[in-house]
Amino acid sequence: MSTFEFLLQGLVIAAQPMNLFYALIGVTLGTAVGVLPGIGPALTVALLLPVTYQLDPAGSLIMFAGIYYGGMYGGSTTSILLNTPGESASIVTALEGNKMARAGRGGPALATAAIGSFVAGLLATIGLAFIAPFIVKLALVFGPREYFALMVLAFVTVSSAFGDSTLRGLTALFIGLALSTIGIDQLTGQTRLAFGVPDLLDGIEVTTLAVAMFAIGETLFIAAQGVKGPDKVEAVKGSVWMNRADWARSWKPWLRGTVIGFPIGAMPAGGAEIGTFLSYAAEKRLSKHPEEFGHGAIEGVAGPEAANNASAAGTLVPLLTLGLPTTATAAIMLAGFQQYGLQPGPLLFATNPQLVWGLIASLLIANFMLLVLNLPLIGLWVRLLTIPKPWLYAGILLFATLGTIGANPSVFELGMLLAFGILGYVMRVFGYPIAPVVVGLILGPLAEQQLRRALAISQGDFSVLFTSPIAAGLLIVAALALIVPLILRARGRGEVLSQMAANED
Amino acid sequence: MKHIILASLLAGAMALPAYATDYTLMAPAAPGGGWDQTARSLQTALQQEGISKNVQVINVPGAGGTIGLAQFASQQKGKANALIVGGYVMVGAILTNKAPVTLKDVTPIARLTGENEAIVVPASSPLKSVADLVAALKKDPGSVSWGGGSAGGVDHIAAGLIAKAAGVDPTKINYIAFSGGGEALAAILGSQVTVGISGYGEFESQIKSGTLRLLATSGDTRIPGTEAPTLKEAGLDVSVQNWRMVAAAPGLTAEQKAAVTADVQKLVTSKTWQETLKTKGWQDTYLSGAAFEAQLAKDISATETILKDIGLVK
Amino acid sequence: MNQGPLNKAGERRPDWAALVIAAVLVAISGVIFFDAARLREVSGYSPVGPGTVPMAIAVVLLLLAVWTVIAAFRGDFPEREKQEVQPVAWVIGGLAAQMLLLNTAGFSIATGVLFAATAAGFGKRKVWISLPVGIVLCLVVWLIFAGLLQLSLPAGPLERLFQ
Repeated sequence: MSTFEFLLQGLVIAAQPMNLFYALIGVTLGTAVGVLPGIGPALTVALLLPVTYQLDPAGSLIMFAGIYYGGMYGGSTTSILLNTPGESASIVTALEGNKMARAGRGGPALATAAIGSFVAGLLATIGLAFIAPFIVKLALVFGPREYFALMVLAFVTVSSAFGDSTLRGLTALFIGLALSTIGIDQLTGQTRLAFGVPDLLDGIEVTTLAVAMFAIGETLFIAAQGVKGPDKVEAVKGSVWMNRADWARSWKPWLRGTVIGFPIGAMPAGGAEIGTFLSYAAEKRLSKHPEEFGHGAIEGVAGPEAANNASAAGTLVPLLTLGLPTTATAAIMLAGFQQYGLQPGPLLFATNPQLVWGLIASLLIANFMLLVLNLPLIGLWVRLLTIPKPWLYAGILLFATLGTIGANPSVFELGMLLAFGILGYVMRVFGYPIAPVVVGLILGPLAEQQLRRALAISQGDFSVLFTSPIAAGLLIVAALALIVPLILRARGRGEVLSQMAANED
Repeated sequence: MKHIILASLLAGAMALPAYATDYTLMAPAAPGGGWDQTARSLQTALQQEGISKNVQVINVPGAGGTIGLAQFASQQKGKANALIVGGYVMVGAILTNKAPVTLKDVTPIARLTGENEAIVVPASSPLKSVADLVAALKKDPGSVSWGGGSAGGVDHIAAGLIAKAAGVDPTKINYIAFSGGGEALAAILGSQVTVGISGYGEFESQIKSGTLRLLATSGDTRIPGTEAPTLKEAGLDVSVQNWRMVAAAPGLTAEQKAAVTADVQKLVTSKTWQETLKTKGWQDTYLSGAAFEAQLAKDISATETILKDIGLVK
Repeated sequence: MNQGPLNKAGERRPDWAALVIAAVLVAISGVIFFDAARLREVSGYSPVGPGTVPMAIAVVLLLLAVWTVIAAFRGDFPEREKQEVQPVAWVIGGLAAQMLLLNTAGFSIATGVLFAATAAGFGKRKVWISLPVGIVLCLVVWLIFAGLLQLSLPAGPLERLFQ
């Protein structure tokens, strides 16, 4: 049978009413758990995997795919509505999405996230089916020096989330970088900045920092405004649905997000959040409405959300073709596959075509069910914002701490949550942007480790960093991204550019 | 009992005899990792075989399991129904982190599973055998980069032991630590590093498809279905296994310890557990009682020596 | 964090709060220097060792502190709105109470206290209503996540009734 026939056969099986029902249950459960701040897709899949064991292989595979996509998507809802990203891949979504929600445009923001996720998931799954072997070759070319160059590029793009002051943006970034060095140094096993506290040996959990700085910092900041503001937010201004202009401004970012997210997801050390950073920066540079960035630009939701979902499908490329679990989520999926007798690896497509294509068909169906479930729910979700403030924020803190306790029920972790929450509040008061702290915590260790690995392999020869064509190319792009705006500013367009710079809060 | 009813609706009712102990089982790792999977498989097997009516898994992640271990030793002292999952990684982590609570502070019950380390090279590599690898190491240890898991972990220890057995200064090995999962494998497949060292399961499908060449494995016997020698057969006196175990709380009476040991014994011989081993691809290395305690003491002292030799522990 | 005097337009007074921030940055930088200095350079093959990157971060933080001082004297920091202290204290108190109660009183009671304290911070001071509501809500959450999904959420006296 040909590739196409296998896929068609898989789709026919997956589209049976009972299997559609399992997909719906999977998506619902995945969204319900994934929506909790601090519980990302990895934990969602780990928690819900046993539920699928009770079904027949086809049904459980489909429900599993539903849980995976549901968990991926769940994080964006809270990001947009409550400014509390559920996981690192939806931090960028909060930047523009929450601004939209506060302006009464939460509906279109959720819609562009859902449809963007669907489009990206669809294209990336098709990509998985047809160009996986090519993509995986590209991914393997990436060694430590290429990753280092990619991280340099990511650092440069971070500046687009700096807000209106370079000083405060850089300070926030370097506070994040300083936090990122806490814990055991992976390359030498030595502890840094832990001062004998065992709870710090593993470093600071990204989700803890993100939940603390966004959810708790935000709650404190709003509380400190006192009761002078209105008791509730106006949830819907204009249509709850996307209008013509929204569509026109969304479709290109969806496609670009997919193109950026898919290959980066396929790279063993890429990670979903890198794709979202790059997509956000790209949209900001390409947008016809750059002045809206920082005040709720729909492109800033559409692009990163698409990139996030495309990279989720991208993760499956090395997993299925090489048996390489490149993220925590993928590692748990690997455990899941083994339950179905699937041994991912180079021989998988040859030895087990039915199961592979069944999985891919399940992913397509699950992706579709996600849209079916979430579009009608958008009206309901935005109603969340009409809950009176006291109960809304009490609920946010309940679920934010639930996520943290669920991942690690330790008093120390809650103490860090509180400390970083206060830090997030103080930074808001003084006009510091929040996102660069979290970005620094994510990118810092990646860049440092890849640099040191590259230099160890070359036994101290710095020239290796520039001699690979891919690494050199990425570094040139990074240099251009840094220099071009400076030249433009020097040529008297500084005012436009400083308006472009997003004001985060 | 509301959640039990709900759980049965979702998970399917199980026949539960009424007499057994309710165990609490600590996985000193985040949900999803190896120890967590071991704990959750134990949970399923203990419940399904009716050895325990209700088993609760508690995750306490952090620092190679040492945080969970410390919490377990202090909070569960003297409780006969508390168990913790652990393994060889913990031995190394206790030493490198200078953890105040060690395996001496709990009651080891039994070793459950184990995995041999595999030493691999890309198919295109000029290194064809362990002898080639040793020759390259002797010529210039820095030019041989080893890709494996985190520093001070079992992969790093095995690389150090190989160098030492080959007569090369273990501090001179060029070990490149990667974060777990597939990152090391990707670097090996992309020929970014000279040789890869990690658990056999991590490389299995690549070895079978011929993209990686297996030079040797680290156990006492060969892995069935492979042709590569053990390190001992290849002339290097090295034997390492990454094992997982289960331990009970400190301060138990002899009877309590015997009861727990009996329950674990019942578990490992059960059909459910044997099937779990098969589906997960875990090797059964069950060892309990005095024999396990002696082996554990031996592993700890050997690990301490090699970590000092590599220069990770002073 | 203490409140510096607000800048009035046209006045060239240093922004004291910004100077405090600069001092904090210097302190962080000092801690990193102190810590990085004691690291051993064990990986002989990479010239960038475990201490190099922390050192670099510490240097940049020092430079940023200097920049912050300059900005403080030039009045470059944005004006700050008046912050109400009492609601913030309620929320922080709620989080602290949850942290301290979690392992003894269990998830529902500890988080119920947080719930009521947060609501109080936002103006709903009728604790005799919000506390029971919060505890019941948290218990339902506990039953779903700990009971059904096997998440390890600490159990207290209330949860043990359902075990």
